[in-house]
Amino acid sequence: MFRLKGQIEEKAFLDQVMERSGQNLLQCLQCGKCSGSCPITSATVGGPRRLIARIISGMQTEALKDPTWWYCVSCGTCATRCPVEINMYAVSTVLCEMAAEQGIEPSEAGIHLFEELFLKSVEKNGRVKELNTVVAFNLRSLRPFADAAIGVKMARKGVVSPAAMLRRGRRDLRVTRIFQKIRQQQKQKA
Amino acid sequence: MKVSYYPGCSLEETAAAFDLSVRQVCDHLGVSLEEVPGWACCGSSPALKMDRLLSTSLAAHNLALARGQQAEKMVIPCPFCFRRLLSAQQETQAAPETREMVQETIGAELDDSLKVLSLLGFLRHTIGLEAIGAKVKTPLKGMKVLTYYGCYLVKPASVTQYDDPEHPISMDEVLEALGAEVLPWDFKTECCGASLAVSKTDTVCELSGRILREAVYREADALVVACQLCQANLDMRQTQIGKLHGTQYQLPIVYFTQLMGLAFGMSYKALGLGRHLTSPKAMLKSKGVLQ
Repeated sequence: MFRLKGQIEEKAFLDQVMERSGQNLLQCLQCGKCSGSCPITSATVGGPRRLIARIISGMQTEALKDPTWWYCVSCGTCATRCPVEINMYAVSTVLCEMAAEQGIEPSEAGIHLFEELFLKSVEKNGRVKELNTVVAFNLRSLRPFADAAIGVKMARKGVVSPAAMLRRGRRDLRVTRIFQKIRQQQKQKA
Repeated sequence: MKVSYYPGCSLEETAAAFDLSVRQVCDHLGVSLEEVPGWACCGSSPALKMDRLLSTSLAAHNLALARGQQAEKMVIPCPFCFRRLLSAQQETQAAPETREMVQETIGAELDDSLKVLSLLGFLRHTIGLEAIGAKVKTPLKGMKVLTYYGCYLVKPASVTQYDDPEHPISMDEVLEALGAEVLPWDFKTECCGASLAVSKTDTVCELSGRILREAVYREADALVVACQLCQANLDMRQTQIGKLHGTQYQLPIVYFTQLMGLAFGMSYKALGLGRHLTSPKAMLKSKGVLQ
């Protein structure tokens, strides 16, 4: 069983999450409206109420490995229904940043991979090449034929064209520079 | 009326049908859409998840690009882009520290005078139901539709500040102005699974499956959407979801702008209606909307 020992370090994690996200988690009533409304809460994904409880209790490792924030699609339903207006997708971002800073292996490798590939495409082209990102994801996840049937249907309807996928994107140096700047700032912080 | 137009990446690629219909409908209503010169991705859900400064900077970069257009309003069809750009404007307004960091990252000054609007909000409130109704040539009489807003357009209301987050009505009003019958249901703002479509397909099939099952139960002729991610999940995965439910779904998922275009007398093909995986053609013919 997890017990708080009243040590100052136990509060440090909570303080950091609250400060960086701007969300006052100490106001949380643990009413559970968030998890009851959350589309991704399931038997295996604990949901926002439990995640907040973990953060408040200083369970840093458990919170940073919690699949809830990886699954979070930022739909904003919990933020809309929360009686004290806690915005959990703002908390998700902070937990994702902290997990990366501490070198914690993503608990949801698939979601992480997709998001990385998406941002790589943006960094390179300024705009995301959606289909190339999906294909790259399926190849890297060793399931090259996932959704192939849908792809064929889309090509037949003219929604996608293999030629457009092969075409090189234009570079957008201004966007590449934004990514570089952010990396520099992260290095300075570290 | 001239407005700044930010289409977003999807509308350039998989959701070209949305873009096609938006441009024609706006043109018909006397709105001149001027694309933000050299616009870039808003960062979408991956940037929002992984890095707050990156997310706000990418969105703010586009706000800065629009400055030169000297437009009063920016109109955004994609609900996620809409929420991100508007949120970036609010975040940089609320915290001078964030504003400074973002301006330094994007190498440009921000200006808060631009009014960031969702396309649906713009058409419903700025253009208005009267102007929309006046352009109707072929009323959508006899069509029973359900409206599906999804999440990002209306939630959280503290950001979107637009319509009711649990029971929005603006799309219903637009469709009623076109002569369609809008059916009631409780799934207007349920989540379709959004960007988990590729990495967690099962989750999306479950969430989108609930919406499809309910829409079919309500005997809707079509599900009308305002978001390309909702459209993709509900349309492309119908065969897959049908198999899970032990049935076959044939429910057309169309953009509200496509129905506006049809009512205004534009052609099926020009509005990109032929691009949906579940074809709306037979349904539209049976209702006399298409010849």
